[in-house]
Amino acid sequence: MLINEFLSCKKKKDVFLQKNNNLKETILSINQLSKHYGRIKAVDNLSLDIEKGNVYGILGPNGSGKTTTIGIVLGVINADSGSYKWYGNELTNNERKHIGSIIETPLFYPYLTAVRNLKIIADIKDFGYESIDNILKTVDLYGRKNDKFKTFSLGMKQRLALAAAMLGNPEMMILDEPTNGLDPQGIAETRDLIKRIASEGTTILLASHLLDEVQKVCTHVAVLNKGKTLFSGDVDEVLTDTFTIEIASENLSELKKIVSDFPNLNSISNEADKLIIRIKGKTNCQDLNSFLFNKGIVLSHLSAKKKSLESYFLELLSEKND
Amino acid sequence: MIKLLKIEYQKIAPYKTFWVLFGLYFAVLGIVIFGTQSFINEFFVDVRKNSPIPIPTVSLYNFPDVWQNITYLGGYFKIFLAVLIVILVSNEFSFRTIRQNIINGMSKSEFLKSKLLFIFTISLASTIFLFVSGLILGLTHTSYISLSKVFNNTYFLFVYLLELFAFLSFAMLIGFLVKKSGFAIGILLLYSYIIERILWYKIPEEVSQYFPIRMIGKLIDVPNTSLMKIFGINFRNFVSYIDLLIVLAYTILFVFLTYLLLKKRDI
Repeated sequence: MLINEFLSCKKKKDVFLQKNNNLKETILSINQLSKHYGRIKAVDNLSLDIEKGNVYGILGPNGSGKTTTIGIVLGVINADSGSYKWYGNELTNNERKHIGSIIETPLFYPYLTAVRNLKIIADIKDFGYESIDNILKTVDLYGRKNDKFKTFSLGMKQRLALAAAMLGNPEMMILDEPTNGLDPQGIAETRDLIKRIASEGTTILLASHLLDEVQKVCTHVAVLNKGKTLFSGDVDEVLTDTFTIEIASENLSELKKIVSDFPNLNSISNEADKLIIRIKGKTNCQDLNSFLFNKGIVLSHLSAKKKSLESYFLELLSEKND
Repeated sequence: MIKLLKIEYQKIAPYKTFWVLFGLYFAVLGIVIFGTQSFINEFFVDVRKNSPIPIPTVSLYNFPDVWQNITYLGGYFKIFLAVLIVILVSNEFSFRTIRQNIINGMSKSEFLKSKLLFIFTISLASTIFLFVSGLILGLTHTSYISLSKVFNNTYFLFVYLLELFAFLSFAMLIGFLVKKSGFAIGILLLYSYIIERILWYKIPEEVSQYFPIRMIGKLIDVPNTSLMKIFGINFRNFVSYIDLLIVLAYTILFVFLTYLLLKKRDI
């Protein structure tokens, strides 16, 4: 009797501990993933960790490898090298059932109605049909639930895809360009919906080419271009207007080495005969100058520029395109 | 297993193209099986008029011959079902729903299994149709009926089931390989009716007799009728075990190749 009680107590405690651990649990960890199509490198040595409860944005222009990355971690595209782990393990069907995903374009049987399409997905995921009506109401498709998918507009198709991803209250949602093809009102509504889902504790991975979208919806971001991560971190840290400082000295590589030790440094990039560095926080040019001077470097060029995020993003992308 | 079959059913339940073709198949199969006798009778009426020797009446529907006769005839129409399978498989690729199915938690092998189950169900439906037709025809045409006579030779039905399943697995492989329905149907017809037939003549008989379409087709040989005997032609009225084994091996090969394709390719 006592032993039984003890065991049940212990079990409860284990469950509790597990739940607490889950708060900081890494759901998805991507490790040096690469994939090429012919000569084109779609994903190039990409690494990324996704922690529970956060909203991650993968930001990048078209063709930067967002969809390929998502396809790989969902097991529909085979990677050339690298690995990924879900909850520290290989991807299993059971995990896929608890991930709601949209990839690229809404994929449904065109001759089936909205409801029938969702029923097939519910069957695959081993969920009941009870929640289908409510989900259709949430995405504002309830009135068209018995219409065939092929009669839907792009916006409605996109909303049905979102409904499919929401089926069964998944722990994690992967949304690839979820606002593609929606009108401004639809875009705003979808973003609100995503935020609402996230506020309930669902982890979300959102791929988008819209800076504005990632800024509004995500807590973390990784900027991708040509399959490479340019940088990643907190949205507030990465995607805020910061100082960009141009510096140059006689020996650029030496300068680069030393300046990389500078505190609060966000990124360094080369441009012709100078370095462009981004600094977060309130550091100013004076601090940087004296830091470098103390290290024995005399600058030949120093100029500070405040840049809007948009132009910085574009610049960053065009730089890497060279 | 039931779940996979249910999913397959959900996919086709309101799909008109499928049901029209499926219905057409059974209509044609029914007409041919029930109508061949009267066609042959018509034919013989003319032949007898000019024939110097008496020609015996041919009955296709006597137990136990009816089983070989109708399964042999039925074999000609399996191409209908093969086209259906090709359409259903390639649809999954052109709608890219295979991708969505997998993302939602169906494994690649489950996906293959669901298609195999579907193929088996369709083959079984056709076999049952022939069984019922055979019973009706046999009971109405055989003068002296005994239980052993009725069920003697019903093994032809099982062989017919294998014949369909093997051929439909081949169609499935082509669907998975080509992915575009029009193109896949073209290749299926071209290979089954033209390319392999040309190869039969180009390649020595010892080798070409083992080609897949030929092997599947000759599982059930042309039935011997008294007429054939008159002409001194003697076909096999039994099924060879070696043939069965070879066709079974082909079926496993088709399924295995489909599995490899599914596994290696990006979806």
